Amino acid sequence: MSRVLLPALFGILVLCAWEAAVRVMGVPAYIMPAPSAILAALASNAPDLLAGLAVTLEVTFAALILAVATGVLIAVLLASSPLAERTFFPYAVFLQVTPIVTIAPFIIIWVSNIFAVLLILAWMAAVFPIISNTLLGLKSVDRNLKDLFRLYGASRAQTLWKLSLPSCLPYFLGGLRISGGLALIGTVVAEMVAGTSGTRSGLAGRLLEASYRLELATAFACFALLSASGLGIYAALQWLSRRLLRRWHESAREEQV
Amino acid sequence: MNAAAVTLRGVAKTFPSAPPSSGTPSSGTTALAPTDLTIASGSFVAIVGPSGCGKSTLLRMIAGLTPPSTGHVERAEGAVGFVFQSPTLMPWATAQENCALPLALSGIDGSLAAPEALARVGLAGFEGAYPHELSGGMQMRVSIARAMVTSPRLLLMDEPFAALDELTRFRLNDDLIALWKQNGWTVVFVTHSIREAVFLAERVVVMSPRPGRIVADIAVDLPDRSPAARLSHAFTDQCARVSAVLEGAA
Repeated sequence: MSRVLLPALFGILVLCAWEAAVRVMGVPAYIMPAPSAILAALASNAPDLLAGLAVTLEVTFAALILAVATGVLIAVLLASSPLAERTFFPYAVFLQVTPIVTIAPFIIIWVSNIFAVLLILAWMAAVFPIISNTLLGLKSVDRNLKDLFRLYGASRAQTLWKLSLPSCLPYFLGGLRISGGLALIGTVVAEMVAGTSGTRSGLAGRLLEASYRLELATAFACFALLSASGLGIYAALQWLSRRLLRRWHESAREEQV
Repeated sequence: MNAAAVTLRGVAKTFPSAPPSSGTPSSGTTALAPTDLTIASGSFVAIVGPSGCGKSTLLRMIAGLTPPSTGHVERAEGAVGFVFQSPTLMPWATAQENCALPLALSGIDGSLAAPEALARVGLAGFEGAYPHELSGGMQMRVSIARAMVTSPRLLLMDEPFAALDELTRFRLNDDLIALWKQNGWTVVFVTHSIREAVFLAERVVVMSPRPGRIVADIAVDLPDRSPAARLSHAFTDQCARVSAVLEGAA
């Protein structure tokens, strides 16, 4: 209970202090809006902001799904041959350490469809943890179990489906939780760099627009929605992970009282 | 004597050592010097020896998990079961799914055979349990049930009870003898415990390290292999005999 209550109480306390400080010191709303003003902005712009959020989340989820599919596939290919791993893994690292902002201008020139641009950039941000964690999992398969599969004449496909993939599930899910957040961050950064605007623009575009017009309350409302989405994605993936591992993995076992 | 279940002819294993830095050519580590061994069908053979004597390598070569460097391994027709030192269960699968694995890999439905094999090792009612819900001894029983599920003619066991407490180990030894009598398996049982080897096996093969080789082949004549036999004179005498051979070889 205190796991929810304590952080919630702290949050409310900070919001109250913020509200009081803004009112007492008479800070103008274009410098620092009070929480009540942000809430009001959120309410009055709700349809518009939620439409923007839907656009952003659409890219985020598409990128995450694409990252899972390609990341697992790449990890399986790299794990199948040490030569392939030595040759290609450095490029996976390259993908991870390169700030996507610096690649965005090229992608924008090469790809005309704006959805595709955002998707590519968000995918680049999200795919590495899936590759590296799944690869680690695939390489950590119990040696004796591998021998056992060999002894009973298991085919490569059987070994992959019945042994390697289940064994690497906890590692994969660890990577997925990181990638979920990165997909959202990647999407937001891509939206800002690509400078999408208009009715089909995502929430990051609206945040920028609002800040240019000094409508800081609206900008803060966008920010709050994005943060809440990030937390929601994390919580959902955490739930998924616990659900899948609950019966057998140490990390998700219910504590026995 | 029955037909041979396993025949080894001049079987040797050399593992390549790390690349030599000084430039002197290295011939690698000899895990097992050329060895001949015949195991009669239906017999219970124990292989004892200190660590590094090549006993596990020998067993893995019989199983076909490690190819011999030289020589031939011949095995009679029929399925082979292998029990590892650790239970080696898939943690994400239930006892029944683990037990049915060898059948599932051959595309055979094990929904009848697996519960039956579990019942034979005293685990009826635990079909749906996950490995972490079972004790170490019970996990080992699942592992034995899995080795039994294909109705093997040959059962290879690599120090299967080494990690268990003595009480559990005695119980599993008694059960193993009973199962061997029922099923007419050929069992090759690797252990470092002289007492366990003498209690279980009709024949004890003693090995010695550097290089790994067979130094003695002792027929064990125990009139009685019931739990009470562990306290008998005959048992202690046989243990002393094997022990003397082992010390002489070291």
